Amino acid sequence: MSSRLTDSAALPIMGAASAAEPAARRARLEEDVVALFDQFREPLLRYLSTFGLALADSEEVIQEVFLSLYQHLHRDKSRENLRGWLFRVAHNLALKRRYRTRRDLAVWGEAGAEDVAIDPDPNPEDRLVNSQTQRRLLAVVQALPEQDRKCLSLRAEGLRYREIAEILSMSLGAVSLSLARSLARMARSAER
Amino acid sequence: MKHEDTHLSDQQLLLDVDGELSAHDQKLVRTHLDGCWTCRARRQELETAISDFIRVQRGLDATLPPGAGPHALLKAQLSQIPAAELDRVSSWFPVAPRFAWTLAAFACSVLAVCLALLGLTGGRQDAAGSAVIFSVPDSTLTPGATLLQSRQAVCAQANTKNKVVSVALQRKVFQEYGITGAKSRDYEVDYLVTPALGGADDIHNLWPHSYSATEWNAEVKDALEDRLRDLVCDGSLDLAEAQREIAVNWIAAYKEYFHTDEPLADRQRNIQ
Repeated sequence: MSSRLTDSAALPIMGAASAAEPAARRARLEEDVVALFDQFREPLLRYLSTFGLALADSEEVIQEVFLSLYQHLHRDKSRENLRGWLFRVAHNLALKRRYRTRRDLAVWGEAGAEDVAIDPDPNPEDRLVNSQTQRRLLAVVQALPEQDRKCLSLRAEGLRYREIAEILSMSLGAVSLSLARSLARMARSAER
Repeated sequence: MKHEDTHLSDQQLLLDVDGELSAHDQKLVRTHLDGCWTCRARRQELETAISDFIRVQRGLDATLPPGAGPHALLKAQLSQIPAAELDRVSSWFPVAPRFAWTLAAFACSVLAVCLALLGLTGGRQDAAGSAVIFSVPDSTLTPGATLLQSRQAVCAQANTKNKVVSVALQRKVFQEYGITGAKSRDYEVDYLVTPALGGADDIHNLWPHSYSATEWNAEVKDALEDRLRDLVCDGSLDLAEAQREIAVNWIAAYKEYFHTDEPLADRQRNIQ
């Protein structure tokens, strides 16, 4: 996956020459952004599930991410490691969204019970009712501290330790410690 | 790293599994593993935990909704970014979408205040005169938002009547559109993409649609929604396409689907 991303043939870099035809350039940019959306929507949704956001909120965050990506590319910013960029921006926007959602709920809570929007749209994890093993594993994962889950999730999406450290503002050592701790916990639960 | 006497830590094993060790350290770890069954077994356990986690992730995938709706929404949103805005953003400072909406809302409220003042000085106190008229939403405030349901799920909904928008949310919509003082009977706080077509209960999908001040009013839009839903559910129109058409320009969609340039007269009669 990562090789496809860094492959500049898959994502042509817009040179100065193409700036002469803004409409064609726009169309190409839109195409690139939509192609990346198709490739990364699900990985990002999986990662955003660690924020405990409702699915509709996560989808909105992802829309915001790709609208930002469009502006990022429009400004001829670097196309290097767009995957890392996408996860980083998604992480930041999701934090913002969660903060806002909680604040809104708090404000509306005061306005009266009928005004409080109870989100009927569950987080993907809550919908997951599979085999017993699946449920047990999920329970172990859900019991992990949020930061540890984020590390695991990002690693599972193929990010390297350095990228994870950057997104989560941790040291490299802390990332590797967190991953080892979580996997040890999962291994322990499998023994039982 | 001295590995001859002590066993490897989980962290060291994992760094090796993930290819995150320097060549030198990797060599040391591998040498230890060659001679140590205990550490090899432990590495195997960690690998199993990794596959377990991936299995949980895969289970999650099955619950993710299809991407066609969000895909279409993104395309619509991208095509709606005015070129001027892109240029302004690039030469100015990176405006977060949210902030841009705040700006737009501010501009709207300034406009509303001006209109209200005009109304006062002109002595026009009647409701129709002072109400700001909206027959299409502001696409920056209300780009439309969908619930990511499949066509089957949408068409299986028994109750296609729009859910009542909470008073608090209505207030927020009025506020966003800068019409805080407006009479609620002048507007239907309407879903841009109707829930009967998978529209979300979200402020980005809500806007104050003027009831009477324009021929393209809320009742006319309801007729379009019914028509589109029928087409979607009998399989002749893609759900994502219907959502997109109604989100991008519902009046154009009405004209297209009713083959008319004006709201249909019989529909109008029904309203009166």
